[in-house]
Amino acid sequence: MAERRTSISGLTDEEAMEFHKYYMQGFIGFTAIAVVAHLLVWAWRPWL
Amino acid sequence: MWRIWRLYDPLRALVVQGIFLFSLAALIHLILLSTDTYNWLNGPNARAVVMQKSAMPPAAPAQTK
Repeated sequence: MAERRTSISGLTDEEAMEFHKYYMQGFIGFTAIAVVAHLLVWAWRPWL
Repeated sequence: MWRIWRLYDPLRALVVQGIFLFSLAALIHLILLSTDTYNWLNGPNARAVVMQKSAMPPAAPAQTK
């Protein structure tokens, strides 16, 4: 078993790593949708 | 990078981030709706405005049918 240190947030290293995995999935998904939305708006009416 | 969650409480971070992103999105959408060019509800009413970015062209003679 890995070392289970306490932290300011109360999460262990394993918990922090697990949460980070899902957080990054959400971040990447959100960013991908935003990029597609910007491409569509640019195709509609470019702003530069 | 994952070590940030040893510092910040994930639940609190998600709530703050959700409020921030929703507010930012609402602000941007309202700003776009207030413009002529990017108002997607009142129809394509400002194609000409986009082209008039520089100087105003001289008044065009009245168009006849």
